[in-house]
Amino acid sequence: MLLWLCALVAIAGMLDGCKKESEPPLPIYGEREVVGKDTVYHKIADFKFLDQDSAQISNATFNGKIYVADFFFTSCRTICPIMKTQMLRVYDSIQNKPDVLLLSHTIDPEYDTVGLLHDYAERLGVTSAKWHFVTGNKDDIYKIAQTSYFSTALEDKSNTDGFIHSGAFLLIDKQRRIRGKYDGTKEEDVNRLLADIQRLENEHLVN
Amino acid sequence: MGFTSSCNNKPGESHAASIKFDQYFVKGELLYTAKCSNCHQKNGTGLGRVYPPLDKSDFVDNRLQDVLCLMRNGIKGELMVNGQAFNQAMPPPLLTDLEIAELSTYLYNHWGRQKGIIQVSEVSLRMIDCKQDSVR
Repeated sequence: MLLWLCALVAIAGMLDGCKKESEPPLPIYGEREVVGKDTVYHKIADFKFLDQDSAQISNATFNGKIYVADFFFTSCRTICPIMKTQMLRVYDSIQNKPDVLLLSHTIDPEYDTVGLLHDYAERLGVTSAKWHFVTGNKDDIYKIAQTSYFSTALEDKSNTDGFIHSGAFLLIDKQRRIRGKYDGTKEEDVNRLLADIQRLENEHLVN
Repeated sequence: MGFTSSCNNKPGESHAASIKFDQYFVKGELLYTAKCSNCHQKNGTGLGRVYPPLDKSDFVDNRLQDVLCLMRNGIKGELMVNGQAFNQAMPPPLLTDLEIAELSTYLYNHWGRQKGIIQVSEVSLRMIDCKQDSVR
């Protein structure tokens, strides 16, 4: 009898493992280079910014973490309100996921000071340790937006808000690679992001 | 779309008045979607303490004259809604008198409010006294 129970448990365990492994891994975005036997993938470059608590935020902050990144500014009236509403959904969904964080960069660092970002984050009712709002050198921010995250961010005086920027949310894995790109202004796309966060967590469990 | 039509009419009101109310309400809803829902949300709940709610709002309930002004000029500076402080500048929607009449008819006959139509004449009168960017 005991032997039969053990066999059942073993089979159940195998089936569970099979289910996780049969989920296809998320794509890895960006260029890749084959170096010898290894493939080197596109990675988010090194960065150093200040968050809403004046804490220095860099890649080290996200070591061993999955995170979602976007680019916005507080005085934006066009796409940012929807992006923040959607990012709040992501924030709520990751409350019990210690390995997942959020990183919002301002593309208007002249106006969006640490103090202003602090006020803004507080008004959204979020914890800094979970959702970092960062500011810093404008060129550094624009450069990382464009070359690391492939997200448009440009000053444009002719635009209503004064900036052209993409409403993309980028999903970054524990190895600084981009694993998903989502339109932060579309609820259905953010639904996909929520599901992909779980998939990425599962992937990291297996690997 | 979801709105009540003849329920809002006072007894004795003409059929024409009822149609006019409906027209204002429908146009107001379109204006709301185009100009307001981005920040205040489609269901009027606002966003945290960044954008105030409109569905349940003592500001909306008690300060019609200020609401009409801000539909033209926007608003800046700290204001209280339901006991909470908001301080995010609202850019001027720059709506016409008619659009303000339509939008406010929608706002004041939705989310539990039943004020009846807001006439263009009332709006035009109010616009004379509106201060730029702030409440009286």
